[in-house]
Amino acid sequence: MAPAIELIGITKRFPGVIANDNINLTVAEGEIHAICGENGAGKSTLMKILYGMQPADEGVMRVFGEEVTFSSPNDAIERGIGMVHQHLMLADQMSVIENVILGSEPTKRGVIDFDAAKAHLAEVGRAYGLTVDPDDYIDTLEIGERQRVEIIKVLYRGAKILILDEPTAVLVPQEVEELFNNLRELKQDGATIIFIDHKLQEVLEISDSITVIRRGKTVATVAASEVTAGDLAELMVGEELPSPETGASTVTTDVALAVTDLTVRDDDGRAIVDNVSLQVHRGEILGVAGIEGNGQSELINAIVGTYAAETGSIEMAGRDIGSASVRERREGGLGYVPQDRHREGLLLDAPLWENAALGHQTAAPYSKGFWVDRPGSRSQTQQIREEFDVRTPNVDVSARALSGGNQQKLIIGREMTAEPAVLIAAHPTRGIDVGAQADVWNQIRQARANGLATLLISADLDELIGLSDTIVVMYHGRLVATLDPAEIDPRTLGSYMTGAALKGDA
Amino acid sequence: MSWFTNLPSWARWSLAAAVGMFVLTVVQRVSGTDLLTEEGTAQAMLRWSIPILLAGLGGLYSERAGIVNIGLEGMMILGTWFGAWGALNWGPWGGLAAGLVGGALGGLLHAVATVSFGVDQIISGVGINILAPALTRFLSERVFSGEAGGSVSQSPRVDGFGNFTVPGLADFLGTIRDQEIFWISDVAGFSRGFVAEMSWFTLIGLLTVPLSGWLLWKTRVGLRMRICGENPNAGESLGVNIYGHKYLGVIISGGLSGLAGAFIVLELAGLYRGGQTLGRGFIGLAALVFGNWRAIGVLAGSLVFSYPFGLSLVDFNAESSGGATRALLLVIAIALAGVMVWAQRSGKRGDAILAGLFAAIALVWYLGTETAAAWLPNTMPYALVLIVLLFASQRLRGPRTAGLPYRRGET
Repeated sequence: MAPAIELIGITKRFPGVIANDNINLTVAEGEIHAICGENGAGKSTLMKILYGMQPADEGVMRVFGEEVTFSSPNDAIERGIGMVHQHLMLADQMSVIENVILGSEPTKRGVIDFDAAKAHLAEVGRAYGLTVDPDDYIDTLEIGERQRVEIIKVLYRGAKILILDEPTAVLVPQEVEELFNNLRELKQDGATIIFIDHKLQEVLEISDSITVIRRGKTVATVAASEVTAGDLAELMVGEELPSPETGASTVTTDVALAVTDLTVRDDDGRAIVDNVSLQVHRGEILGVAGIEGNGQSELINAIVGTYAAETGSIEMAGRDIGSASVRERREGGLGYVPQDRHREGLLLDAPLWENAALGHQTAAPYSKGFWVDRPGSRSQTQQIREEFDVRTPNVDVSARALSGGNQQKLIIGREMTAEPAVLIAAHPTRGIDVGAQADVWNQIRQARANGLATLLISADLDELIGLSDTIVVMYHGRLVATLDPAEIDPRTLGSYMTGAALKGDA
Repeated sequence: MSWFTNLPSWARWSLAAAVGMFVLTVVQRVSGTDLLTEEGTAQAMLRWSIPILLAGLGGLYSERAGIVNIGLEGMMILGTWFGAWGALNWGPWGGLAAGLVGGALGGLLHAVATVSFGVDQIISGVGINILAPALTRFLSERVFSGEAGGSVSQSPRVDGFGNFTVPGLADFLGTIRDQEIFWISDVAGFSRGFVAEMSWFTLIGLLTVPLSGWLLWKTRVGLRMRICGENPNAGESLGVNIYGHKYLGVIISGGLSGLAGAFIVLELAGLYRGGQTLGRGFIGLAALVFGNWRAIGVLAGSLVFSYPFGLSLVDFNAESSGGATRALLLVIAIALAGVMVWAQRSGKRGDAILAGLFAAIALVWYLGTETAAAWLPNTMPYALVLIVLLFASQRLRGPRTAGLPYRRGET
């Protein structure tokens, strides 16, 4: 039997880089095949080639034994290949059925035959055990349900081969479990699944075979039953996987940041942060766990000063900063690593040295009185570059030219060199590769040893558990649990985050 | 209020219209005028609303396809000139067709600039608004100035489509109106304005409403146009030709604006004259927002916005000088008081206070004057949109990516 997918010698060059260098991949029909690699290893490029979004420069592609060339996703769809993108490709203000049929609408003389579409949708749903209400609007669905819609969308087109690009990135453990059950069922019904991920435990749990890609090359293809997470990690990075453990406690009794009875309301008057109190001590990392949208962003915005709190007080080193401006708070020693580095952290089209000055633009060495101190800024940025291993040709390139990991290292460097007393770090390693991740963890750990108080918000539960001295769980705007990271695993933490563990108490 | 939101949209709007008529009837008794529910007011409102409606529907197509079209006004101006030129050569149908094509050419220009070359949508639209009057003046100088009655700024007179009256129904409504039953007769009289002495062109304009709703929400091409305004990357990933459908939306947008221009020439003015569009393209955009980016909503918006204009046409003349428009202030005060109660019930205290304040101002204004100023009707559409945006902005669901540039393969 011919394999479902066979790639031989696929090469793709972009100006200055080889994204895929002689990639070979064989995926058998009816298996779940994982593709692992650090961010930037070339996984996404490979999948774009396979889905017809980009042409390969060299190499041969065979689908079910037949040689193919794709010039658009339509060609791939026609061959039975479907893709579930990492950033869900759904129109929020359209209904499920509209999203599903788009591009292959059943019509009678140009008019969409919604009855036929719904009948086909129900049929697909039955065949693969996936249920969804065709008339629901996407923006009323939970993230896990939206992903199910994406999968149905692909199956609706008769896809036999599904590509899932980091599907678990946005899910909590319970939803991951459900997704995996769905995938197993799909496999039983004969579908072939290509699963892209870099979370090794998940990969081992779900896949039959695993291909590891490193720096654009295929390193190895192994059977999932024959390897451990440690083996995979070594294949991926060529060395031992870094871990986020913090080591000995450095927590002191000095309160660096105290939030008391803080309430933030949204425009509708709903309490998004509901009577939250917390304390972070010098030398402590306080982790805040919670599914996105449970008030974490609003909490840190209120502390940083970009949101107005309705009630409650915020104190830094005993000084009330509740009514201080953002600049006053920052000058008072508050560091901030924002959750979206593109939107809040950087000016993408500005040079690195200007970016390094952001938030510190009022102080030396970035300014001299009224004027920007260009030489001072440049040399300071140069120092950040060296100390924090920001890989860039020079400090005059625009921030856009850096990879995500290096952008993040620049931001961390910018905040750390100002020697803050309190650091708010929101998703500090989101979307960056393992190497950069280890660097960021190191920096935070080192600062902690030097007495920095850190408020850490992260969706990466391993990171939260590994780095934090204490974890609090935020659910519907409230702090519902305080946990000791030494005694908890991601599953239990996940059940707190979904509120499942609380039902018994409430 | 869930029973209300569960109704189909036509029923909701009809119910709102019935309640509105009731308020108008009461206010008119109190204020000693009978123009508010007069048949002539309805007729004037309807005629006045068609250009706004067509421009608003034009905006609907464009924004649903993800392109903000601030150039509706300019495309309407192209429609006026080409409408007059077509009507002079081939009669009313020629005028209609030429106006449509002229506006569509403006739409094509906007599409080339914004879709193919990625020009900022606002800048391109403003450019078209500046270009169109200059171009039509140039064309007039070349074409109209040589003809009898024509000049650099106006065309010779042209004929419109002519009117019709729905037989039976008009008489029936007339009979009820003459019974002088409170509210019922007022509704009948006002409704008669929609079935008597109506221009064929008005009928065509009204028919574009169900046609647009059907096209955008029931057909393949409509769904594909709408994905351009909601999430073009999703469409692209499923093989939808995003650029093509954006082009189509913007060209239809221009065509409808051109039709609006032709209507002004054929039915309102009887000739082309420079500057005769009077910002109706912008009022059309306001109607689009008021109508929550829905075809029937745009119709409701253009009727509501045209009401003060229609009223002023019968109110500011030899016999009357703004008494009925003054009564409109009381209507606004009552409507805002309604908003206040609604906001208070939904727990939005800030909104309630604001609405109450506006209501009080309108009431004081009403009580303090005998006749309204003539400029008042002109400001009302904009004031209404501001009020809608103030109090209902969270409920509005415009296309998500309208106004944002789109390049294939860039996310």
